[in-house]
Amino acid sequence: MSPRTTISFRLNGRDISVETAPDARAVDLLRDLGALDVKEGCGTGECGACSILAGGAHVLSCLMLAAQLDGREITTPSGLGTPGEPHPVQQALAEGGAVQCGFCTPGMSMAAAALLAQNPAPTREEIRTAISGNLCRCTGYVMIVDAVQAAARKMRGDSGPPQAAAQTSRKKPAAARKKGGKG
Amino acid sequence: MRVQSPRDLAELFEALQTPGAQPLAGGTDLLVRLRAARKDGVKPLPASLVRLDGVEALRGVRREADGALRLGAASTHAELLAHPLVRAALPELAAALTQLGSPPIRNMGTLGGNICTASPAGDCLPPLYALGAVVELASQAGARRMRLAEFIAGPGRTGLKPGEVLAAAIVPPAPEFQVRHFEKVGRRGALAIAVVSLSALLRLERGRIAEARLAWGSVGPTVWRCPEAEAELVGRKPTLAALSAAAAVVRENVRPIGDLRASADYRRQVAGNLLLRLALL
Amino acid sequence: MPLPSPSTPPRADALAKATGAERYAFDSIPEGCLHAGAFRPGARLGIAHGRVRGVDAGAALSIPGVVRVLTAADVPGPNLHGIIHRDQPVLCGEVIRHAGDPVALVLAETPEALRDGLAALRADIEPLPGAFDAAGALKPGAPLVHAGRKGGNLLLRAKIEKGDARAALKNAPVVVRGEFFTPVQEHAFLETQCGTARLLPDGTLDMTLSTQSPFRDRFEIGAGLGLDPLSIRIRAPHLGGGFGGKDGATVQCLLALAALNAGGRPVRMAWDREESVLAGFKRHAVRLRCALGADTDGTLLAHDCDMLFDTGAYAHLGGEVMELSMEHACGPYRIPNTRVTGRCVYTNNPIAGAFRGFGVAQASPAFEGLMDELAAKLGMDPLELRRRNALAGGDVNGAGVRLNASAHLPECLEAVAAHPLWAEREAWRASAPAFTMRGVGVAAVFNGMGYGRGLPDMAIAKVELTDAGGFRVYVSVADMGQGNASAFALLAAQELNQPPSSIELVMPDTERCHPSGSSSAGRTTYTFGNALIKACAGLRAKLASRAAMPLLRDTLDGLALEPGRVVHAPSGKALPLAVLARFLPHDDRICVAEFLMPVAQDVAGKAEGFLIGYPHLLFAYAAHLARIEVDGLTGRVRVCDYLCATDGGRVLHRQGFDQQAQGGAAQGIGYALFEEFRLDAGRSTTGDLGTYLIPTALDLPDIASLAVDGCEESGPHGLKGVGEVGLNGPAPAVAAALRHCLGDAAARRLRRLPFTPERVLAALKAGGTARNRRRA
Repeated sequence: MSPRTTISFRLNGRDISVETAPDARAVDLLRDLGALDVKEGCGTGECGACSILAGGAHVLSCLMLAAQLDGREITTPSGLGTPGEPHPVQQALAEGGAVQCGFCTPGMSMAAAALLAQNPAPTREEIRTAISGNLCRCTGYVMIVDAVQAAARKMRGDSGPPQAAAQTSRKKPAAARKKGGKG
Repeated sequence: MRVQSPRDLAELFEALQTPGAQPLAGGTDLLVRLRAARKDGVKPLPASLVRLDGVEALRGVRREADGALRLGAASTHAELLAHPLVRAALPELAAALTQLGSPPIRNMGTLGGNICTASPAGDCLPPLYALGAVVELASQAGARRMRLAEFIAGPGRTGLKPGEVLAAAIVPPAPEFQVRHFEKVGRRGALAIAVVSLSALLRLERGRIAEARLAWGSVGPTVWRCPEAEAELVGRKPTLAALSAAAAVVRENVRPIGDLRASADYRRQVAGNLLLRLALL
Repeated sequence: MPLPSPSTPPRADALAKATGAERYAFDSIPEGCLHAGAFRPGARLGIAHGRVRGVDAGAALSIPGVVRVLTAADVPGPNLHGIIHRDQPVLCGEVIRHAGDPVALVLAETPEALRDGLAALRADIEPLPGAFDAAGALKPGAPLVHAGRKGGNLLLRAKIEKGDARAALKNAPVVVRGEFFTPVQEHAFLETQCGTARLLPDGTLDMTLSTQSPFRDRFEIGAGLGLDPLSIRIRAPHLGGGFGGKDGATVQCLLALAALNAGGRPVRMAWDREESVLAGFKRHAVRLRCALGADTDGTLLAHDCDMLFDTGAYAHLGGEVMELSMEHACGPYRIPNTRVTGRCVYTNNPIAGAFRGFGVAQASPAFEGLMDELAAKLGMDPLELRRRNALAGGDVNGAGVRLNASAHLPECLEAVAAHPLWAEREAWRASAPAFTMRGVGVAAVFNGMGYGRGLPDMAIAKVELTDAGGFRVYVSVADMGQGNASAFALLAAQELNQPPSSIELVMPDTERCHPSGSSSAGRTTYTFGNALIKACAGLRAKLASRAAMPLLRDTLDGLALEPGRVVHAPSGKALPLAVLARFLPHDDRICVAEFLMPVAQDVAGKAEGFLIGYPHLLFAYAAHLARIEVDGLTGRVRVCDYLCATDGGRVLHRQGFDQQAQGGAAQGIGYALFEEFRLDAGRSTTGDLGTYLIPTALDLPDIASLAVDGCEESGPHGLKGVGEVGLNGPAPAVAAALRHCLGDAAARRLRRLPFTPERVLAALKAGGTARNRRRA
């Protein structure tokens, strides 16, 4: 049995202190605390369903220990927004058809919100990269990318007409995306 | 399992004295293995996990007196990627980091973790080998340095001694190389383990290759170098013909294994083929 | 009745899901629940087929928090379940037939105790020789998966025949042949199999499950455990994905068994990802051998196809999947002479079952591959060849069914032909940079709707006026993510002339809803939607007439249901629905109606061997286009652009339609390029999401979806189901694009999915270097 310890952190804007096994996984602790908006899809960091924000950074709660939450500012999807007061990303995902089964969506909203906090006007390619650690099996990602673009426009206060989902290809040859620059 | 959270090197070295202590860097690999071990009932588990993320001395990037970059081992991949010195001076490392795991993995995983895991497929390793990186190991007894290529002994095996941590990688930026290349062949665009990867540095003099450094990942137990292929290139222009000749030497010498990601034959073929890409640079 | 406008509101479930407020079965964690988990020793011991000599629970039971360890001896009743054939033990007592077979069930106070308990269990399993491929399993002397079974390892042999395919092939001026392989595919839904169960004091077994088939589950559980099926209540909240993999019992029987032994406490079971891969149902691996004969002008004359299905250790839906596959084996084309034979075989591999595309995804690469082969041989444009032979309304399809229903494949092909991605295909090919090859391919696909003959495809809808004057729709078919529940709310709002906000949904609950079959086969919105429209129409008429008395009308003329009230237009008098609700007893505020899908009557083909299914009448059609790029140094294929034109009847909700098209195409691209389920003597070596690779956002292109305007008269407002057809197109479309890139010789080497870099590089090498520039 693991020794128990008390950790304190800020969860969705609320200071909490909780007694836990320090080697418990963060995802389990958060769900035990009622944050059922944090999902789990694989337990090995491959799917992104358990995404949270720690100090604003997009991380995976299945690969964190409870002890690593101590002293941190933690945001879960329900801390980002609620059905009554959704974050623009969540609203755009819902309106834009980016939600099907929805099990990946809370985690997806974490990835997208972290991106937009750093980059208010991302390209489709940048959005695809930012959500590339969050697997979705339903949508093919197209409407997710559309929705993140729409949210970005809204957050920038840009009310221009939405760009159509790109019909053009991402034409860079396969190798170019992989290539290191020249020295 | 206990979890210890030292705040400086002194506390860290103290914590590492605990019997059964195991350093915990980003956790992206260790916690996956611990989960599997617990599911399978494998014993013993580490008695204590010692977190490295709170030790400031293990983080950050700075330039040393001789121009080499000192990359703190507990720096996350994302921190290194965001650092202007890394982006400007070590483009092949930046390229490797860009393709490592996924954004949250890059926010959690660390350079030191990638090195000490010593996976044949570790994405940072081919660039660091090609650049001639040195590792700095620290313990209560002080610090020592050794070449990365000597530090990594085999899959999952390093020269780390009990009570010791990897403090930093020291990387000469090698500005004299004009052609710098990294390519990772994975099975998908993110969350991919390298099937083959290549980091290549070419120094040209009057259009001819004066020095070539080639380092492959995922084709052997550790990063693989091919002095024969490097020699084949020296003195020649980086043409398709010269690169094809070197590729043939690579295919002759490389001894990869087959696994569920690719056969040995595919790895042999592609290890050579990747050199041809240099013709475009 | 006006149709919903394109600006219909977003799905009702979307915002709750996006903010994490939605509660799935995975999130059902009742206070004080026990945690149950299955012990599947085959994987750990490396045994896929073995005799169970004993289970040692001693060490497990000594772990604090481990409450019970149950084995086959604790299973009441016959201990056999299955949808059609009852051949699968709840817990194996004598033999394990695949590496994921369970031999014990652990109940524990916490997930950690459960994990440690499972790790401490020991089983003594004596390895038996195994049958690990379908062809080998049919050889004399092959190990028997079900010893003593009449018929040995052959689960089902069947044939569909129309005309005389063999003679017609002999006489056909042009014949192409090929052998194709399609692999096991993992559903990889993000929410793994899970649920909760509790035995209530009155004897009811109360369950909340992530399931596509709540009504049928009761019978599978009842059969396995010898319980009265009607004593089981099942609720199915929104699923975190299903795609066919939650059609049939996953956690069901185990959870029920756990609840029977939990002293009235609730029990939760949630498989982790590895267990999901190990024990979940898969898409069948299939070997197809086909020959296609045509006239010199490209008119198809005959198709002969033999299919060999590996159903794994248990029958599950193997025969039914093969039926649908065989019915589609000749493609969406007019072919006068067809012959399709199939065998479905038991092996010691993982259990195969339903997966979106239900057998059709396996058949499509073969018939489309031969179409491309034929086009190359004739020197014909592949799209033109398809247009020439495409099925249209009134035609007889390859299974012998006259299509007296909407069939708009020609229009799908037109839409693709008119698209710049097709028009510019040669420019695309010519623009390939160094070490790169580019190409464009098309595929025509279709997918039958509903259960087919022999199994009534029926749904029963219930609508109720609430006390508050709103409406309650009892959704009887599960929503696995496709959005049918929201679609039903919209349909009801339309039919009842009410704002969508006045509609509340009761998610599937066997106690409150009427049995309406599974959420599958592209039938969900079609069949239940039709029933719902009828129920709403009935309630609408009823409420208008019930208002006559309080509104003091002596005839029913001029009474109409309006938002929130019944109005008598001539007098302008109105009665709020909340008042009307109080006026009526509860029973009178309800309307129930059913719908039965029409079946094929005009059938020219002959079929033998099937229990149910053959044939289908209604089909969705699609034409898909893939524009790709191949890296010549690594063999990596990138889909740069993707287009699907789909005939799904009338489009009621464009966003929902596009969701299905894009989602199906995405899974199909995964099937075509990435997803390789590897087995070593029956044991999966790709047991998690790090080794079984589904596409990330960086692996898929922007998928464009075009809707071909059609109208299926029998459908709700003209709609057909589009959930399945989208998955069938990508594999053949990518194969066609590879042919365009690499040439015919290389393409003939690419008849085994997925097209991994390794296979493509090998094909490239063998296909020679002259392949590309020949026609450029």
